[in-house]
Amino acid sequence: MENAGRPAIYRYAILTRVSHWVWLVAFLVLVGSGLQIFNASPNLDASDKSDPARRVLAIGSPADGVGTTTFFGRTFVTTGWLGWTGDGLGSRGAHAFGASITVPGYQDLAGGRRWHFFFAWVGAVCWLAWLLSSAIKGNLREMILRRSDLPKLWPMQAYYLKLRKTPPPHGIYNPLQKAAYTSVLFVIAPFVVLTGLALSPGIDAIANPLTILLGGRQFARLWHFVGMLLLLAFFVVHTFQVLTQGVVNQMRSMITGWFQPE
Amino acid sequence: MKRRLFLASTVSTLAGCGPISAALAQNDGVQRILASVDGLNDELIGTRGLAESYSERDVDRNFRVNGFATPSDARYTALLADNFAAYRLVVDGAVERPRAFSLDELNAMPQRNQITRHDCVEGWSAIGKWGGVPLGAILDAVQPRSDARYAVFRCMDNDGSGNLYYESLDLHQARHPQALLAIRLNDAPLRPDHGAPVRLKVPTQLGYKSAKWIARIELVGSFANIAAGRGGYWEDQGYEWYAGI
Repeated sequence: MENAGRPAIYRYAILTRVSHWVWLVAFLVLVGSGLQIFNASPNLDASDKSDPARRVLAIGSPADGVGTTTFFGRTFVTTGWLGWTGDGLGSRGAHAFGASITVPGYQDLAGGRRWHFFFAWVGAVCWLAWLLSSAIKGNLREMILRRSDLPKLWPMQAYYLKLRKTPPPHGIYNPLQKAAYTSVLFVIAPFVVLTGLALSPGIDAIANPLTILLGGRQFARLWHFVGMLLLLAFFVVHTFQVLTQGVVNQMRSMITGWFQPE
Repeated sequence: MKRRLFLASTVSTLAGCGPISAALAQNDGVQRILASVDGLNDELIGTRGLAESYSERDVDRNFRVNGFATPSDARYTALLADNFAAYRLVVDGAVERPRAFSLDELNAMPQRNQITRHDCVEGWSAIGKWGGVPLGAILDAVQPRSDARYAVFRCMDNDGSGNLYYESLDLHQARHPQALLAIRLNDAPLRPDHGAPVRLKVPTQLGYKSAKWIARIELVGSFANIAAGRGGYWEDQGYEWYAGI
């Protein structure tokens, strides 16, 4: 796979590499602790206050040994996956998300909140530091999606789908990478931060228009969950890409900075 | 092959978090580091704004009961049987003029009504119309001494293991215009399960701050010597003292 004929390029600055791995840890902890927090009230309502009439998602356990998930009024039996899951202490119980994917790995709302709020700061401070450094050094320019990239999005996708032999010409990042990184770093991540802040009564009292804009407090909780799902989707696709597009080269470049072009 | 590697690594990354964090969750040093952002959040966010006020039609007529069930001990049931005629709200500690308010005296003070949202730490919320005496008016009546920093709310309910519920606010939070000693919910006297005869309502913080069944407000310089020393029943179980997030 390696092509020694072309010189390696220094693709990732140190702060980008450190941020990348800090974000990975923060993301995993935030998802796990977020699910822990969700479990304490496993409903999502498209409303300001809790309102069963505007319930979008409800995960529950109508009887011992049974887990159900109700999505827009349609109920599915999800025993073992959602609603009735492992408690992390050797048995199963009425927990929306199982203890194997929550942080901590057993029911502990107070603990989940501590992990969540600490790593929210870690992720946000890391984002700011990375953004400042990248803006000053100018490498933001290489990764932000521009209008001129738009016509190249489909050709790039076609190349990935093997409908096209060569990718369209591009710089360090291809147009699909730019689209993904731009939306994750500048749209979805800030959205997740804002929807999380809107859940806090203290923030609500200071920045009430934010909560109103999101449709209210419970709606903000729903948006926060949707934002998490979008980040999770990016995480899954991103991991798939890394593992299928020359995993050694990719991992090395995100650790040492040096990337070997094909 | 690659697909299987991808799936295996994703699943193991996610599944690894539980056991690792379970080990870290038992470590006091780790937990202290995690909790270190509480003070920062309090400084940055605090309770400076006003919680949103709602209109009558937003009110949940069947307001969800939060926290513990109605106390069943003799002291409370005797007060309840007598319709709280013998109830006194004791306000003492680091104050110039300790007082004991009867329910009639509280009802005779200037009243405030507010329709605000109750945000529970569990994640649900409900809107209620709360009526009662602003906490600031009670503080004015007893005149906190200069060494008073916190108002500690001593309640009549216990968790079944003998630990009495209590909460605390610093005096800045206690003087927030929406910090209310509520004696009415939705225009009716508080029901026993909602904290009758007197409960706290602080809509700028999570529901556990809004202690029910208050018997005494004690002004103190520090709450380090009360119960486990963290300023509240749920705080002693690991929840944040600053409940604004």
